[in-house]
Amino acid sequence: MLQKPESGALPSPQAEGEKDGSRDGETQTLTASQKEVPSPFLQESPNEDLGARREEGATASSLTPKGARTLAAKALARRRAYRRLDRTVAELVQFLLVKDKKKSPITRSEMVKYVIGDLKDLFPEIIARAAEHLRYVFGFELKQFGRKHHTYILVNKHKPLEEEEEEVEEEDLGGDGPRLGLLIMILGLIYMKGNSARETQVWEMLRRLGVRPSKYHFLFGYPKRLIMEDFVQQRYLNYRQVPHTNPPECEFSWGPRSNLEISKMKVLGFVAKLHKKEPQHWPVQYREALADEADRARAKARAEASMRARARARARATDRAGIYPW
Amino acid sequence: MEEGRAERRRRTEAPSHTQGGPRRAGVMTDVHRRFLQLLMTHGVLEEWDVRRLQKHCYRVHDRTAAVEELEDFINNINSVLESLYIEIKKGATEDDGRPVYALVNLATTSVSKMASDFAENELDLFRKALELIIDSETGFASSTNILNLVDQLKGKKMRKKEAEQVLQKFVQNKWLIEKEGEFTLHSRAILEMEQYIRETYPDAVKICNICHSLLIQGQSCETCGIRMHLPCVAKYFQSNSEPRCPHCNDYWPHEIPVFDPEKEREAATSRATKRSLRSRQH
Repeated sequence: MLQKPESGALPSPQAEGEKDGSRDGETQTLTASQKEVPSPFLQESPNEDLGARREEGATASSLTPKGARTLAAKALARRRAYRRLDRTVAELVQFLLVKDKKKSPITRSEMVKYVIGDLKDLFPEIIARAAEHLRYVFGFELKQFGRKHHTYILVNKHKPLEEEEEEVEEEDLGGDGPRLGLLIMILGLIYMKGNSARETQVWEMLRRLGVRPSKYHFLFGYPKRLIMEDFVQQRYLNYRQVPHTNPPECEFSWGPRSNLEISKMKVLGFVAKLHKKEPQHWPVQYREALADEADRARAKARAEASMRARARARARATDRAGIYPW
Repeated sequence: MEEGRAERRRRTEAPSHTQGGPRRAGVMTDVHRRFLQLLMTHGVLEEWDVRRLQKHCYRVHDRTAAVEELEDFINNINSVLESLYIEIKKGATEDDGRPVYALVNLATTSVSKMASDFAENELDLFRKALELIIDSETGFASSTNILNLVDQLKGKKMRKKEAEQVLQKFVQNKWLIEKEGEFTLHSRAILEMEQYIRETYPDAVKICNICHSLLIQGQSCETCGIRMHLPCVAKYFQSNSEPRCPHCNDYWPHEIPVFDPEKEREAATSRATKRSLRSRQH
């Protein structure tokens, strides 16, 4: 879905020109990091290695048998290293897909601990290649949360379809339906209350629906845990203490993942349907939603333009490289 | 016209390793990507559902294109998935041989796909149930026997009442099937965990004499002990009035199941119409 240009929380589409390997999970990073971080597997400098195989063929005949053997051994070691790298990238892709199902953001340290291990110096290259696979094969974008935090989520490039368009039920998300419905109700309340809602207001609304915080619910499990822990950890909701309140009160607001996966206009539409009215019935919220739609359209146009520019740059770069290391 | 240009643009953005590289992998388009995502979401799908899904993906992303033959479509995707050590695998339900498809790991990683949905003690409950199922003669483990192992679970202590609900969660998520208070493996679990099961329980694991795949439910020869899946029995002994064991030639003592392809197709279409009716009743 579209990325809302939020201050500090997410990398803006303009950031992809930078050379920092861990910032942007797409292929441009890969070519940049290949130049800057010589892989420990390559004994020659990275730029030369691309031509090394051509060189090997040309010079082998002029070397002594011992020299030829050493070269062959090096080549074998290099191929083994590349295979190991391939496997690690594949494992990381699977790890990210499985982790993302839980919807909790994945940290760099988790990835290193469970998948990458002692290849962690190659993290930028590995994650860039994993991101490319995720994008090309599955249609997921690997996005980084916050520049310092090294936390990532997967965002689906394919939007789930509107009800009217389809006969295939894409919303059969294995039990996620009711929980997501609950989430949208809460997002709706937050939005209509001016983008934040007190915790008491949220529980009040849910009580009217027959949902109590600590009473086991056949659809939602334990609502308090679902809302205060799961939704907050998954970054669908923000939860913070309101300053200067006595007794201390807490409030909810939309989390960064909600901004990525759903829009104000959609949530307003849902609230409107619930009340059997039109979205325009709430002029303030409607205007805000319109402005949000315009922002998203602009961000999307920028992202597409930069994608095209990157594709052109990539095409130029691979023409120059000639031999593909994988 | 607009779609065609967009489609071509998407194809040219494919990473270099799939175009001119040493492996001739297929090309992924949004049709394939949506298909893959939906298949992943459902875990396992029957063939009629897979065909419907495929047509749906074409309708959404590429109305003008001809729908590729399913086998070629899947082989195309698998050639791209090869470098990721995963594949779309085809299997069959053990009770009546309906073809099913799931996305599986080619490298063994045990119950990892379940790991994201279940807690440590829940995964251990599954492992215990799995062991009982594999050790059993019928391929079924009774609810009572599974629940009696609740005290041996790793992780947080689980009560029997809770364990009952966890078993239901396994059924809902298509890891187990329940029949009259007994549990066996869903075809999804068989597809995804076959390699893991063969490696972890090499002595207890049962193999079908005909198709050589993992066998959980089936018929066995009482003389020499070889086993066959019910659909494999049906195919092997088709219109054979005197069925004999392929291994020891003794008379085959069980009733030969008959799977009528016509009835299967009827059943499949009635399932499809029931589903679309449900979706319109919002």
